[in-house]
Amino acid sequence: MNIYDIIFYLFAAITLVSGFFVVSTKNIVHAGFYLLFTLFGVAGLYVLLGADFIAIVQLLVYVGGILILLLFGVMLTNKITSVDLRSGTSYIIPAVIGVGILWGALTAVLFKTSWRSKAPSGMDPTTSEIGRLLITDYVLVFELLGILLLVALIGAASIARRDKE
Amino acid sequence: MDLTNLYYSLRLILPEVIVSVALLIIVIADLILHRDKKSIPYIALTGMLAALAFMITDLAQQGFAFIPSKSQHMFGMVAVDAFGTFFKILIIISSVFIVFFSNSSLEIQKVSDRIGEYYTLIYGMILGMMFMISASDLILIYLSIELLSLSSYVLAGFTKLRDRNSEASLKYIIYGAVSSGIMLFGISILYGISGTTNLMALNKFFQSPELNLLTLSFSLILIFAGIGYKISAAPFHFWTPDVYEGAPIAITAYLSVASKAAGFALLIRFIRTSFVAVVDAQGNWILFDFFDWRSLLIIISILTMTLGNFSALWQNNLKRMLAYSSIAHAGYILLGLAVLSVHGLIAIMVYFLIYLLMNLGAFFIVMLIADKSGSENIDDYSGLGYTSPLLGVALSIFLISLTGIPPTAGFIAKLYLFIALVDANMIAVAVIALLNTVVSLYYYVRVLKHMYLTKPSASTSSVRAVGINYAVVLILTIPVILFGLYFTPILEFVKNCISILSI
Repeated sequence: MNIYDIIFYLFAAITLVSGFFVVSTKNIVHAGFYLLFTLFGVAGLYVLLGADFIAIVQLLVYVGGILILLLFGVMLTNKITSVDLRSGTSYIIPAVIGVGILWGALTAVLFKTSWRSKAPSGMDPTTSEIGRLLITDYVLVFELLGILLLVALIGAASIARRDKE
Repeated sequence: MDLTNLYYSLRLILPEVIVSVALLIIVIADLILHRDKKSIPYIALTGMLAALAFMITDLAQQGFAFIPSKSQHMFGMVAVDAFGTFFKILIIISSVFIVFFSNSSLEIQKVSDRIGEYYTLIYGMILGMMFMISASDLILIYLSIELLSLSSYVLAGFTKLRDRNSEASLKYIIYGAVSSGIMLFGISILYGISGTTNLMALNKFFQSPELNLLTLSFSLILIFAGIGYKISAAPFHFWTPDVYEGAPIAITAYLSVASKAAGFALLIRFIRTSFVAVVDAQGNWILFDFFDWRSLLIIISILTMTLGNFSALWQNNLKRMLAYSSIAHAGYILLGLAVLSVHGLIAIMVYFLIYLLMNLGAFFIVMLIADKSGSENIDDYSGLGYTSPLLGVALSIFLISLTGIPPTAGFIAKLYLFIALVDANMIAVAVIALLNTVVSLYYYVRVLKHMYLTKPSASTSSVRAVGINYAVVLILTIPVILFGLYFTPILEFVKNCISILSI
């Protein structure tokens, strides 16, 4: 087991353990803070894979942006913080069967597949290559993402707006 | 990708460009005209008609747009072909009708100060659907589905007048998020084993002898779940009745026709370009034998139509009944795809063309009546055939056509479907579909019984629509009758539009 393996298992453990607490805690603020560690752990895994751009974006957007916004939203609305979340289990047998099948299928897929792999050619930075592709080969996707964000913004404003009575 | 390639690509996706520009114009017009927004529907209408005109004049155009510079094959991200243009025309035609629906709808009129946002979101849906129809790259497929979904989540709860609007929106988002997550998972597995996201390149990959069947089937089922959610096929249909009932009727009509058409076009293109090894002389698609699409489609379609029809039997809310009926229709159309041949494709396209007219018509009249009486309950339809004769007759025609009884166009649609099934020796399946049609007769005719055989009660309102609404009803009714008697033109049109770009 070399140093990479140890770091990998460390990040994986952070992700899994905090992920478990996100779904099991009854306090929504705590759940938000646990989510912080989950997202951070995933960012660490991206770094280990050599996906530096995605790792930074994960930190900036999810940890830095969305999560902080989420926590602010929860803390500023007293109504939500004081409400106890229902975290009981219902339909436990169908859920166990469903999750069990999915887990079995995923494990089988994971171990039985010869994934298309590429030998690491050093840890080159990926950002410039991604940027180049986004304005050449994938320019359509890039532009469409712009429209998607515009539509999402307008939609969000439309939902959030309070109608005059 | 160099500039010549870019200009060439932009020329091919001109209708989509027009739609995007129209979307931006509406956003800007909404900001400029913040006092009087009456002209926004006309701007929306103009954009749609311009896109429609370009598509009809360039029907024969085909080619790949946005071809990556380093690709050895000339496969682009977008495949422009007659099949795609046909479905895009259907989408735009139904969008034009939706503009008229929204203009007459009381629900939408109540939120007329937000009409700019409304049409922006409608255009977001149109753009998403148009790219769904011609996308030949998994990234673009996912992105266009998201564009369509995001816009429709907001539109489903747009009016915010009643709790059920918000409920519809929230349910739609939750189910939608789960299903697109599942689909994305499938796509990532498929990419992990094939190393490509292009549908044509996937076809090349599937020709190689060393395939891991388990992984491949697993990823395909996950992807199918995502598409199945969009076309509301069982067992991914749970959101449909609640969302259709809660959303404004104009949006319900739009979701049941356009969004479904886009989902089907996507599924057809996915199967046709990635999984068909050769097309034989009779037009049958010979698929790679590692994944049995036919059995999957037959099982899903029988499940879908049976569930849809039997659940529709005891619905007293007409909107909910039409929701289940649209699930059932998705089942019939899936059966057409299960034939896996050019004849099945023709049957699907004829079916969609006719389904568009009759389903929009039925929803429009339900909307007019609901605006007057305030509910969609079947009791409000007692004696309606006498209090509002024209609407009563038109609704009867649409419902009869939805059942598939001659001399309406719905009969022709079903006829072609059954012919395709019998030609492909799928007799047992055809019989099941036929029995389903008989079941559906009950709940459609039940409305007719309420309209004509029950005395008008106090709650029955006499609906006097204004001129433009009558015009819309007539524009939808006349083709439903006409195509039932004289259907050669639509058949010729469809036969001109069956070419799908592939290897």
